[in-house]
Amino acid sequence: MLRSLSVPRAAVRSAFKQSSSLPKVVAPSAIARLSKRSYATEAEERDLVIIGGGVAGYVAAIKAGQEGLKVTCIEKRGTLGGTCLNVGCIPSKALLNNSHLYHQILHDTKNRGIEVGDVKLNLEQLMKSKDTAVAGLTKGVEFLFKKNNVEYIKGTGSFVNEHEIKVNLSEGGERSVVGKNIIIATGSEATPFPGLEVDEKRIVTSTGALALEKVPESMVVIGGGIIGLEMGSVWSRLGAKVTVVEYLGQIGGPGMDSEISKSAQKILKKQGIDFKLNTKVLGGDVSGDKIKLEVEAAKGGKNETLEAEVVLVAIGRRPYTAGLGLENIGLETDERGRLVIDSEYRTKIPHIRVVGDCTFGPMLAHKAEEEAVAVVEYIKKGYGHVNYGAIPSVMYTHPEVAWVGQNEQELKAAGVKYKIGTFPFSANSRAKTNLDTEGMVKMIVDAETDRILGIHIIGPGAGEMIAEGTLAIEYGASSEDIGRTSHAHPTLSEAFKEAAMNCYSSAIHF
Amino acid sequence: MFATKVLRASAAAHAERTPMIKFLGKRTIPSSIDHTPHAHPASPTHELPAGFGSSPSFSSYRQQAQQHGPLGKAGKSGGIGDRSGHSLGPVTPAKGEYFDRNELPARFRRRPLDIAEIDAIETGGATLVC
Repeated sequence: MLRSLSVPRAAVRSAFKQSSSLPKVVAPSAIARLSKRSYATEAEERDLVIIGGGVAGYVAAIKAGQEGLKVTCIEKRGTLGGTCLNVGCIPSKALLNNSHLYHQILHDTKNRGIEVGDVKLNLEQLMKSKDTAVAGLTKGVEFLFKKNNVEYIKGTGSFVNEHEIKVNLSEGGERSVVGKNIIIATGSEATPFPGLEVDEKRIVTSTGALALEKVPESMVVIGGGIIGLEMGSVWSRLGAKVTVVEYLGQIGGPGMDSEISKSAQKILKKQGIDFKLNTKVLGGDVSGDKIKLEVEAAKGGKNETLEAEVVLVAIGRRPYTAGLGLENIGLETDERGRLVIDSEYRTKIPHIRVVGDCTFGPMLAHKAEEEAVAVVEYIKKGYGHVNYGAIPSVMYTHPEVAWVGQNEQELKAAGVKYKIGTFPFSANSRAKTNLDTEGMVKMIVDAETDRILGIHIIGPGAGEMIAEGTLAIEYGASSEDIGRTSHAHPTLSEAFKEAAMNCYSSAIHF
Repeated sequence: MFATKVLRASAAAHAERTPMIKFLGKRTIPSSIDHTPHAHPASPTHELPAGFGSSPSFSSYRQQAQQHGPLGKAGKSGGIGDRSGHSLGPVTPAKGEYFDRNELPARFRRRPLDIAEIDAIETGGATLVC
């Protein structure tokens, strides 16, 4: 198409108005003589275009809307919230909570003086209840988009050039979006296990493990990290015989403090989960009724065959950037598939930024949220803030495990002089009244300054309690700052205070 | 009156310890910020790849590029870059006005007919099947 550029179009047209009633031909060269011409897109330029409507993407979109930017968010799933809301944190917590209730009614209420009759599991209803929670939250995000004037496009976006994104619309058709700034927030996907083809029925990732149609008789979990242990807990509580196979010598991943990890393993073992640590999975055979997994000691040793009705592959997640058309703009990923960014989330093309799972840092929803707010502040104000040293991790098993800052093995390796204060929940009044006393709070402080370096909790409500620890680390608190702060009685948080007191002085109740 | 002040002064005088948490006050954006690319704090290598940030971006290129005048918004001459295509309105000609296809660049013109196609048209397609 031809376009008049520096002269208003209406003026150009009026210049060519002809008196005859017959159609007249206007030579484009005539227009060109009046003006300069070129080609241009019909797409409106947006201040910010975000590819991905997961936690990183939707939070950035809402924040940008609040900052008055004209923002568009492209999401292909059909619902907002990404992995976290749809097939991750949220549905897993629904299953964890309800399976814990079921397990408690079956095994724990009698001691508490509550005798329950016939207890039955209705898995279909359990799943429905999970789906209701998910649907409510994803719709809630859609509402927040409307409230904050975020344009939401359902479709798959890919780069045409450094400013233009082509969207294959979910409902069919195509459209183009042009952005002054672009954020890539396409998240991550489960890492497949070589040689085991995921069908989400018998060989499942966390996605399939959230939607099994019946409780399997047996389940092998490959990977003893947080996802594997949470989903393993769910199906173990519902009646499956669960075995966790982990390549490393400890469960919970490398971030978990070794002492806490051992304690968690002991407690989960007591709940019925078997563990095979330092064990490598060699391959699997899915031809029979049961899946046969060949395993051997990680450092070499005797082979063993494990049989299971369902195998959960939970060896980690990898960045998801497929189909983005990165090759069209010359962006490359590192050896682990992460998009390389600088400290302001910029790629080497500065107006294209990346946040969340598809770039550096832990793959955690709350880390992605922090980055999403910061990246919009960088765009709008030129300054943002995320403290990567104060990002908590939580494992929502029962008891929960939570930590923030450095663990003991890291501090040892770094040669830092530290002191430790601990307090067991068995000495905490509220844990006693709740008959839920497993676990402890472990606080690690700098030996010289008393500054808190790491906090590690295993116990009831650890995931909530770690917020206080994160605040303490964010603001450089000492253990004495916490120990001299009043904590309500009787609460679990008194264990937190007493662990702090145990660092610089002594706990009172232990 | 000023009881809190007095208490605080007294407490300070007898303080055995100084809290490490301090009141930071309302957050402000630093007056001077270095925007040159630095390695991301969570980067495993703690360094940026060679050439990162040194090649001009399309945005910066657009600031200086010329095509019938400056492309970038920084251009003050009222060039193409000053207004989005959308804001210029529809590009279709008014009723009764037409663009001549032959004046367009070659890729938009009709493709020339070859002999076989001319024959096919003239024979009603018979040459294609006979």
